[in-house]
Amino acid sequence: MLTNQMPTAVHATTVLDRTEPAPGIVLLGFYAPELAAVTRPGQFLMAIPPGGERTATALGIYEAQDHRVAVLFFVCGPRTRELAGLRAGDGLEVTGPLGNGFDLSGSPRDVAVVAGGIGIASLLLPVQALIASSARVRLYYGARSAALLVERDRFAAEGCEIYCATDDGSYGRRGFVTGLLAGAEPRPDLVLACGPTPMLRATAAACSALGIPAQLSLEETFACGVGGCWGCVVPIDRNSAQAPRFPGPDEGGSDTVNARVCKEGPVFWAHELRW
Amino acid sequence: MSGSQAAYAAVDLSVKLGTLELAYPTLMGSGCYGSGEEFAPFADPAKIGGVVLKSVTQRPRLGNRAPRLVATPSGMLNAIGLQNPGIDWYLEHDLAERVPRPWKTIGSVAGFSVDEYAYVTQRLAAQPEIDAIELNVSCPNVAAEGETFACDPKLTGRVVRLVRDTTEKTLIVKLSPNVTDIAAVAREAEDAGADALAVINTVRGMAIDVDTWRPRLGNVTGGLSGPAIRPIAVLAVYEVACAVKIPIVGQGGIETVTDALEFFLAGATAVSIGTANFIDPRIPERIVEGLRAYLGERGLLSIGQIVGQANRGFAGAHRCEGREG
Repeated sequence: MLTNQMPTAVHATTVLDRTEPAPGIVLLGFYAPELAAVTRPGQFLMAIPPGGERTATALGIYEAQDHRVAVLFFVCGPRTRELAGLRAGDGLEVTGPLGNGFDLSGSPRDVAVVAGGIGIASLLLPVQALIASSARVRLYYGARSAALLVERDRFAAEGCEIYCATDDGSYGRRGFVTGLLAGAEPRPDLVLACGPTPMLRATAAACSALGIPAQLSLEETFACGVGGCWGCVVPIDRNSAQAPRFPGPDEGGSDTVNARVCKEGPVFWAHELRW
Repeated sequence: MSGSQAAYAAVDLSVKLGTLELAYPTLMGSGCYGSGEEFAPFADPAKIGGVVLKSVTQRPRLGNRAPRLVATPSGMLNAIGLQNPGIDWYLEHDLAERVPRPWKTIGSVAGFSVDEYAYVTQRLAAQPEIDAIELNVSCPNVAAEGETFACDPKLTGRVVRLVRDTTEKTLIVKLSPNVTDIAAVAREAEDAGADALAVINTVRGMAIDVDTWRPRLGNVTGGLSGPAIRPIAVLAVYEVACAVKIPIVGQGGIETVTDALEFFLAGATAVSIGTANFIDPRIPERIVEGLRAYLGERGLLSIGQIVGQANRGFAGAHRCEGREG
């Protein structure tokens, strides 16, 4: 997995555009050429709350091109509601890019990208990078209902093959997206996934059974987002290249160590997670 | 530079805690600021008084299981559980590879026995990079033992007395709000040789997930921080400032200069900023500029002139001339 050696900074940006691809889902684009220039697929930013209250909000970077960076998010609480209230011309300060990002260095030729709900927000950049390198990309996209399968056209326009599943059967196959992945033929040589934790666990199990390496972008509550508070940990293999440097096994000879999702992650190899 | 700006520039914000001299009366709270380096890209290191490092114990600790954080109204609960690599590794790697910064570096020591506190303090305080020691006798998130020390005045006294013998450097004892009489604990710490007191650590709290019927923290209970605890912290500083002469580092939900001023007026010599760094890491430097302007506008020359001004029972030894009441 790549480490974050890019220049991270607080960027004072201006909102360029705001749309609602579905009720309760907001796509917010802002002017941030320096951030766009250094962002890698799978990284995130912290949006400093415009009102100055509450902790900053971690958001996956959806688009980063030329002068514009965009985030795509589900409005689920006071902090995202505040961000959703921004309009073109409003100022927004963001810290980023943060976290590692997907490791696409192995020149994968056939990649399955698994998205659960708003997890799609971290997957456009890797899809664009993979297609630019002429890889075949199949997107397995699940959501509660058809209306929440946002940005399908966008991914299709990038050149993905798209397979959908919905909980209520209102679009694509009824059921979980991991069911679609298990039947993927021919088998992909790499899986990238982002979504709710149960979906990521199911993806990890499916990939383990099929013998396909998988990279998972985890979701966890962050406080600082920069590795300072150790609040967002996940247990991983002590021998992982991503394991924070730590002394040998202790406390019962544990072979795991708690890695920070914000710093060592948010993307981890599925087979190295001990969750 | 206009006349007023020149006056502001002359305002003296430096303070002393024991022998520790801070250019600014602002510390970054332990556990909220990592080693400082995590925030260095976003904050101006020259505008920070000191950084209290994350607590270290004798043995490595994996810390509590996730989730470790829950957002709550006007604050957050945390239960990290003192994850750290242990003192040996810490000295050999974390501290040795540290980037020199203009801020003062305060090592934080946690432990589960009186002897562990003394041992870790002796090791840590011997390092030239460490300017002072904060004794974390009040972590609420490590089974029963962690907070026991700060909840028992006699035990606090024992720990501080033993640790006092291991170092000449400034010793700051961090007190728990989860006690009946914080002033009594403060007096014991002062009698035992503490140079300063950090008031307060987090307030114990809990949140429950009504969908799963389970506590939301992996550790079940946690420590509440943020503006939700500020009035509790201001009162604690006020009460401790009536009880001891040694300086107090006030902390608990400080986000703005106004918040910080409440603590100074209650009797704090310095303040510590923790959770607010999660909103915006530039908050500490804004507070410093805000203090400078506040004092300058009132024709005051130093931060010491406002310490304890709202506290009629203020017992601090550094009572300043011109203090009213």
